[in-house]
Amino acid sequence: MSAFANSSTLLLATFLPLIGALVLLLVPQENTKAFKQGALLAMTLSFIVSLAFWFGYDRSSDAVQWTLSKDWMPSLGIKFSVGMDGISLLLWLLTTFLGPIATLCSFEAIEEREKEYYIWLLVLQTSMLGVFIAQDMFLFYIFWEVMLVPMYFLIGIWGGPQKLYAAIKLFLYTLAGSLLMLVAILAIYFLQHKSTGHYDFSIAGFQAMAPVIAAQGKTFGLLLASAFFLAFAIKVPMFPFHTWLPDAHVQAPTAGSVILAGVLLKMGTYGFVRFLLPIFPDATKTLMPWMLALAIIGIIYGALVAMVQADMKKLVAYSSVSHLGMCMLGLFALNPYGIKGALFQMINHGISTPGLFLAVAVVYDRRHTRMIADYGGLMKTMPVYATVFIIMTLSSIGLPGLNGFIGELFSLWGAFQAFPWLGAVATVAIVLGATYMLWMVQRVLFGEISEANTKMPDMSRRELATFIPLIAAAVWIGLYPQPFFRVMEAPVAKLMVQVNPAYGQGPALEQARTTPEAAPETAPEGGRR
Amino acid sequence: MTTFSQGLWDSLMQGSPLIYPQILLIIIATLMLWPGDLFFAKGEKHKWAPVAFLTLALSGALIYLGKPGEGFSGMYRVDGLARGFQVIVILSALAAVALSQRTLNALREQTVEYYALILFATAGMLFLCGATDIVSVYFALELMALCFYILVGYFRTQNRGVEAGLKYYLLGAFSSAIFIYGVSLLFMATGGLVTNLAELGQKLPLVIQSNSLLVFGGVLFILVGMCFKVAAAPFHQWSPDVYDGAPTPITAFMATAPKAAALAAFLRIFGTAFHGLMDQWSLPLQFVAAASMILGNVAAIRQQSMKRMLAYSSIAHVGYMLMGVLAADTVLGTQAVWLYALVYLFMNTGAFAIVIHIQKGGQGERIDDFRGLGHKRPGLAFAMLVFMFSMAGIPPLAGFFTKFYLFNIAVQNGLTGLVVIAVLTSAVSAFYYLWVIRQMYFHEGGAEVEAPGTATTMIVTMACAVTLLATFFGLDLLKWAGSIGWL
Repeated sequence: MSAFANSSTLLLATFLPLIGALVLLLVPQENTKAFKQGALLAMTLSFIVSLAFWFGYDRSSDAVQWTLSKDWMPSLGIKFSVGMDGISLLLWLLTTFLGPIATLCSFEAIEEREKEYYIWLLVLQTSMLGVFIAQDMFLFYIFWEVMLVPMYFLIGIWGGPQKLYAAIKLFLYTLAGSLLMLVAILAIYFLQHKSTGHYDFSIAGFQAMAPVIAAQGKTFGLLLASAFFLAFAIKVPMFPFHTWLPDAHVQAPTAGSVILAGVLLKMGTYGFVRFLLPIFPDATKTLMPWMLALAIIGIIYGALVAMVQADMKKLVAYSSVSHLGMCMLGLFALNPYGIKGALFQMINHGISTPGLFLAVAVVYDRRHTRMIADYGGLMKTMPVYATVFIIMTLSSIGLPGLNGFIGELFSLWGAFQAFPWLGAVATVAIVLGATYMLWMVQRVLFGEISEANTKMPDMSRRELATFIPLIAAAVWIGLYPQPFFRVMEAPVAKLMVQVNPAYGQGPALEQARTTPEAAPETAPEGGRR
Repeated sequence: MTTFSQGLWDSLMQGSPLIYPQILLIIIATLMLWPGDLFFAKGEKHKWAPVAFLTLALSGALIYLGKPGEGFSGMYRVDGLARGFQVIVILSALAAVALSQRTLNALREQTVEYYALILFATAGMLFLCGATDIVSVYFALELMALCFYILVGYFRTQNRGVEAGLKYYLLGAFSSAIFIYGVSLLFMATGGLVTNLAELGQKLPLVIQSNSLLVFGGVLFILVGMCFKVAAAPFHQWSPDVYDGAPTPITAFMATAPKAAALAAFLRIFGTAFHGLMDQWSLPLQFVAAASMILGNVAAIRQQSMKRMLAYSSIAHVGYMLMGVLAADTVLGTQAVWLYALVYLFMNTGAFAIVIHIQKGGQGERIDDFRGLGHKRPGLAFAMLVFMFSMAGIPPLAGFFTKFYLFNIAVQNGLTGLVVIAVLTSAVSAFYYLWVIRQMYFHEGGAEVEAPGTATTMIVTMACAVTLLATFFGLDLLKWAGSIGWL
């Protein structure tokens, strides 16, 4: 199995969806069944091939594995260069894992223009997979931006009533951020040319620039870092850059929401891990208190806003803001626990939130309303659905034994280590998270059943099939997270060396704790909000 | 006397191979007007189209085969810069002739003059690309502009056509006057002897101490004149009206060829003659570039008409390209501008080909007329989608690559502030490009659109293929651009 994992199969798994899309392009429009099955086949094949990498990954090494590098534009130092380390691997596998689920959940929900739909879905899949394997800045940027185009169409054509607004908002918002990042990329690129004498767009080369950037002075580093920060913070999205998210999530078709929540938001956090932290360790430390403050505000703000939502999909969307705040909290604690927790949180959020969106879609497809008030007592008519919904909810709020717990635990642990009082505030926020989710479950599944809901059939086999892998993954991670830790162990250690080399030698912790005084003023304020 | 005429004759004979492409165009165009016009009866004037097309193709071949060199006492030279931009001009002219058929046939406006004027204008632009003397630059500019004044107002029965022609003529004449006034100031500053660009480049830094006001004024006036010609803000006011009123094929032609030729002259004047005075004109030009990007992109958002939208968008694209002129490394800047102009030619011509197709007989170019095109003509709509995304600079399309390369050069030359404005405004530009896509794919209905003819299909397919794939052949593109370096 492990011999099967090499750079060619890496490309195969990444580009299989795109190949599928090109094949489907030739199929006549009327043949709707072919599109569904073809898309599912391409996604599933891609997932099966990708599994080989889980087994083939050398957990003892922190190097980028299965690398392939071909000259593309040598005079500019641009290469077609791919490969993965443990961090990319986990997110890459999450993406291939969600692909078939996103396809399967569209079979009945999408009733018009199926050809275009499945083609865009497949194109989206390849571009997302490409982001995680790119080892060249130029290549990364291409995948990063291409991703927007299929998403724009998925929301704009098959979305809800406000789809046009949501689609263009998503597009422009993220485009503006990434374009500024492009300028910063070019600035680093020339700095590198000045210091090393050759042009190089490789990500490793950019990461090696950290000391040179630091030597340019604080303002320079901060300026470039904030360009990167903006691009990623919009994608995550961090408070206050989150406003596109509820619109996009609510208007997107279910598969769009699944992918948005499952993968697209992880692009931002991945960007932080891959670029911001290793390239700008100094700026990261300067920004750290602010980031933590924003993360805490995000956690609490997202939870409070989620609590008052009457629309289930919107509620889940705001819960994303909260959960990703938790992820950022762990990440910017800048210690191994926090970073591991953040990575875990990314994966967990990629499993439980798509599950929740799917659960909302199940009842939406039956009654075409997402209002919590329209439901109630579904436990009686849809017992299977109720069970699944409860499991996904518990996984989302971090019940021990399910996947959410371990990520939150580590994130908080990291936060406690950096700033104890910060961890305390975040813990309160977790209680809030449990409140709004359980309250929604209570109102939807229990209580009096209304006339309109008595005739709702329970989940079909196809619908159940979309949940089973998610539940299986949730239970697996919850009960036995060790394999995941082992995959991220070496890359996280390497990241720690890059971003916070002094960690673990005593003074580092103090140093991290005593950086600017600004944090104590802003964070509690957010907490009171 | 004999020695003088002998010398003149020798110089002409020596220089003429350099301008064979232009000579061919001018001779054929003259012959077309008389006696050629007598050959085809009134209803058969469309037969001139293949003649014009072949002539242009032949002229293109002559450019390709021509040897680099300098002639006419340093008035004209053929080098990488000249040939590179001449290729863009010829390609644009070929497309204009091919695209004109649908519009002209629908309005029964086929005449021999139309084609002759395109050939004359092309000759003017070819001269402009290679002009190395301030006098020859002016001659070439006027030859080009005079033809365009007539072509813009070609539909003399349509009010907006006449208005556009008049407006273009008045403002064009005005800008030429400003240009020539600037020339006269420089002429005075240098002692009334030097007009050659390279010599000016040597002389001006010497006289700037004693005649700083004259030199600064001269450079500024020439800058303004050139900005008028390339329609950069704040000297752009004519262009939306002119684009809107001109026959659409001519609009497509105007948006690419004269701009490319004028930019070639821009690069040459400011890269050789005024290169030493960069600190004098850098700031004003930076202002012009920034203003073009902001104004072009913001104004385009509100447009209902496709032609006006593309007019404003082309103002913005000129703003981007001016960053190449501003690059202190003239050769790299020229390469970036050339690459940008080449790809812009494909995107823009492709988009206009579709507009012309949707228009039928010159009406119906509102953005709303693209409604539902994704359903009715998936091929055309997809091509339009590619052009729009490419103009917005979405990777991996060609428009992204050239933008990337241009920004790259600009950052390298310390224009980071301008690049930040450029990327922010290009995010704004995505809004109106996406608007077109939205009309095509997110809405249904709209009038029927017939299947495109052979010429349209070919042009659109070619442009679409280039736009889609160019980035993957970035290496070759860069190699070509590398050969644009000056002699």
